Amino acid sequence: MALLKRLIDWIDVRIGARELAQKQLGDYLLPRNINVWYSMGSILLFIFVLQVVTGILLLIYYVPDADKAFKSVTYIMNDVPFGWLIRMCHAVGSNMMVLVLLLHMFSVLFMGSYKGPRELNWVTGFILLTLVQGISLTGYLLPWSQLSFWATTVATNSANAIPVIGPHLVEFLRGGKLVGPPTLGRFFALHVAVIPLTIAALVGLHLFLLERIGVSTPPFGLKETKNPWQGKGFEYEGHPGGIPFFPNYALQDLTSISIYLACFLGVVFFDPYLFFPKDAFLPANPFVTPAHIKPEWYFLANYQTLKIFPNELIGLTVQGAAMTFLALLPFIDRGPEKHPLKRPVFMACTIGGILLWIGLTVWGHYS
Amino acid sequence: MENIGRRKFFGICLGGVATGALAAIIYPLFRYLAPRQTESSAGKVVIPLKDVPDGEAKFFEFAGSSAVLVKKRGGDLVAFSAVCTHLGCIVQWEKDKQDFLCPCHAGHYTADGAVISGPPPKPLTKLPFTVANGAITIG
Amino acid sequence: MRYAKHVTNSLLLVFSLMLPIAVFAAEQPEIVCIQCHSTMPGKIGEPVKLWRGSIHAENGIACNACHGGDPADAANAMSPARGFLGAPKEKAIPDFCGRCHVGVRADYLASAHGQALGMGGPTCVTCHGNHQVLKASLELINEKSCSRCHSFERARVIKSAMQETEAMIVAIDARIKAYKAKGTDTDKMEKGLFAVRNRFHTLFHNVDVELVKKESMQIQAELKKIEAVLQGLDDSQHTRKIAGAVAVAGALLAALFLHLFRKTYE
Repeated sequence: MALLKRLIDWIDVRIGARELAQKQLGDYLLPRNINVWYSMGSILLFIFVLQVVTGILLLIYYVPDADKAFKSVTYIMNDVPFGWLIRMCHAVGSNMMVLVLLLHMFSVLFMGSYKGPRELNWVTGFILLTLVQGISLTGYLLPWSQLSFWATTVATNSANAIPVIGPHLVEFLRGGKLVGPPTLGRFFALHVAVIPLTIAALVGLHLFLLERIGVSTPPFGLKETKNPWQGKGFEYEGHPGGIPFFPNYALQDLTSISIYLACFLGVVFFDPYLFFPKDAFLPANPFVTPAHIKPEWYFLANYQTLKIFPNELIGLTVQGAAMTFLALLPFIDRGPEKHPLKRPVFMACTIGGILLWIGLTVWGHYS
Repeated sequence: MENIGRRKFFGICLGGVATGALAAIIYPLFRYLAPRQTESSAGKVVIPLKDVPDGEAKFFEFAGSSAVLVKKRGGDLVAFSAVCTHLGCIVQWEKDKQDFLCPCHAGHYTADGAVISGPPPKPLTKLPFTVANGAITIG
Repeated sequence: MRYAKHVTNSLLLVFSLMLPIAVFAAEQPEIVCIQCHSTMPGKIGEPVKLWRGSIHAENGIACNACHGGDPADAANAMSPARGFLGAPKEKAIPDFCGRCHVGVRADYLASAHGQALGMGGPTCVTCHGNHQVLKASLELINEKSCSRCHSFERARVIKSAMQETEAMIVAIDARIKAYKAKGTDTDKMEKGLFAVRNRFHTLFHNVDVELVKKESMQIQAELKKIEAVLQGLDDSQHTRKIAGAVAVAGALLAALFLHLFRKTYE
């Protein structure tokens, strides 16, 4: 429309909007051999936005008081029009976020995109992983159901094994000796304000690094798959002759997001209670521990690991060491090769590790 | 060229899907945020005052479940849900003791609905009512 | 060198997710009655095992709720001064159970069974057991149990009079449970069903077939009301599934169009 053009012109002569759009979108070129795994990040961004929006909507009716929380969630699920939809989107979405995050991480591992100069991207990504786990854990308590209460008791109890400060840490986390109203208060503040803002900030940093350094080239379909970076001076990794981000790869991102939406909506409408055991619908009772409290699927491997090791401290230390190793991966694996089939040891270890994680998760489910 | 034609076509298709998606989002969102209707006058129950003699209770149906009106001996009128707060049985009025007894697990309530003994975890839910022109309107 | 690190990588990638979860939470200690009696052999220890499988245990009703005594003080647990009642003699059984089950006691005492108390008639325990009391169902009326004292014919008549209503109750119970597992607020329905179920089951204690038949009509009417609510829920679930199918189809359609649209740029 002529009016729209005049509006854009007005903004353009003041801030050079068209030039900015051209540089950021049109001239931003991606490698020709880019694949759909590079959409995972956009899908995650979409999921995050959806979580924030559904979360804010839930905030309108949810009451963060131990006596009223469960009833307010029951009210949302039963009496508020489409409340069930908002709540199930939020619950299913949180599980999807962890799943897509794992896929994103695995694709980065397989394509060697964590190697120099992108170590900071990996580190910020790792921090985002722990933040997502934290937001899931804190969010889990808010409905104040039997599952919420006891899963949080078990989770916060684990800090007990840390020598010297352990018991104090547990009390600090809970805001008291046992899980109770003070726990709800602090978990609510963390879940609704602190962690989402931190995630947003880190996502911003993650994207800035991506834009500044340049997208990595996938190692597939190329003769030379070694990492070209020398580390001598800053150099933006451009892709001359590549695919423009806008409209080409942006459309691919949107396609991927639509496919994700199809899967997501399928779960929300046809099997949303996939992640809900029946204890999720009983109000919290501090005096009755249900028979089989298990953490969510993405924590089952940790749960099973702690069951394997006879000493809780050893179990914790092993996991801590594993996470530290993962966090520092780019500084440990400095090999220049990026193609997965040309890094047999790394691939064997990684696939072995993934299978072992899946195995522990399944074991944790049945144990 | 052919591509432009196809581009326009799919552009229109996408526009259609996008409009549909927008409607599918805006409608539930609006319903979710819109202020709820407060209880209308439908469902109110009217009982003549003379139906509830001194020291006696009258059971009736209100909002789909059992309710009771009590004229306390030498005192005022009170209205409760007659559903026992333990597991849902309907409480009985004991005229001689001027209290409520639940026959299922012997929960006892005072004439004011407070729990005296037994398993009920909460007092009987009070119901709002008004008295005018010799009639009691509950709800 | 690097390979050794890659090997440890595999073991450690296993434990990739940080937040460790401990295995169990704090448990409340058991009452003193159970602490002692569960370790005793034979007749003295058996009640604990039987009780654990009971509906009383499921609902937190333990030894002292029926037998009195002090559940926290082992030295005085069985002291009459703390209200300990011991095991009731046969004729005192209905009063013993009737301290809580008030309505049933009244119905039973007025019935033929109650009139025969102490003269060869059944007490509560005869049919319900004493420690492994299960949730009451029509199965309690069976040939083996009733023919201990008389022919099963009379019992069979009552049982068949109650069968249809019982089937309705069981079916509704299952449907309510299914909805409860989906976060539906089934509180009102559960309470309603419980009240009707109790009213219905207690009918048996009168051992009066005509009364059963008459009351069954009313009770079925109440049950139909609950079924109507469940039907409403079924209908809205159905609508949601259709909306869901449309939504998923819409998303897939969007993906298809976006894909084809993108191809026009290549």
